[in-house]
Amino acid sequence: MEKERKPKNIFVQGPISPEKIANSIANHASKTDIGGHSIFLGQIRADQKQEGKVIAIDYTAYEEMALEKAFEIREAIFAKYPLTCMHIYHSLGEIKVGEICLFVFTSSKHRKAAMQACDESVERIKAELPIWGKEILDTEGNVWKVNT
Amino acid sequence: MSNLIHIKAFGMIAEKMGKVSLELENPGSTAALKNELFAQFPVLKSMKFSLAVNKKLVMEDSELAPGVEVALLPPFSGG
Repeated sequence: MEKERKPKNIFVQGPISPEKIANSIANHASKTDIGGHSIFLGQIRADQKQEGKVIAIDYTAYEEMALEKAFEIREAIFAKYPLTCMHIYHSLGEIKVGEICLFVFTSSKHRKAAMQACDESVERIKAELPIWGKEILDTEGNVWKVNT
Repeated sequence: MSNLIHIKAFGMIAEKMGKVSLELENPGSTAALKNELFAQFPVLKSMKFSLAVNKKLVMEDSELAPGVEVALLPPFSGG
């Protein structure tokens, strides 16, 4: 039976812990029709800017709109690819360099669907979700992040 | 009857305006609202942002109903 899907909260306060990611993988052990997972992890990079070096990114979002949009993306991806499941988590607040701020996890019977769905989801999340990152510099200044 | 609209600002836009929300008398359309905002916050004139009305992006000039929530969204930089 087709399960009805509802908007889920994608936001995590602070960094996404490696334990959360490991648990999320473990939670799929009982879904034995899955043959492949694809995982994307976004990590905060210590970019060197003109004004200083990035030590963290402070994320804020228009949460209500972002959740609606994330749901829309999720529905479109499920309609396009034969997925078993899909999870999206994005951090809010200050995330230090080396920590994980985005976790996208897709699973399917065969690997291609999971891999393509994961890739397309990440692109759409970065382009369409109203989320903003302010890069905190070691010089005590800050720069609003620009997605490339 | 009051005809207010609710403005929410985010990211760099909120920082430059010095506030995250305000209420305005409904100017009637998104184009009129932009003019109103440019008059009150001249710093916005040189900034790139889009508008969302009740959480939907609006690309062209649109009418504003009383009570709507209009968000000022600078370019997204999530992920």
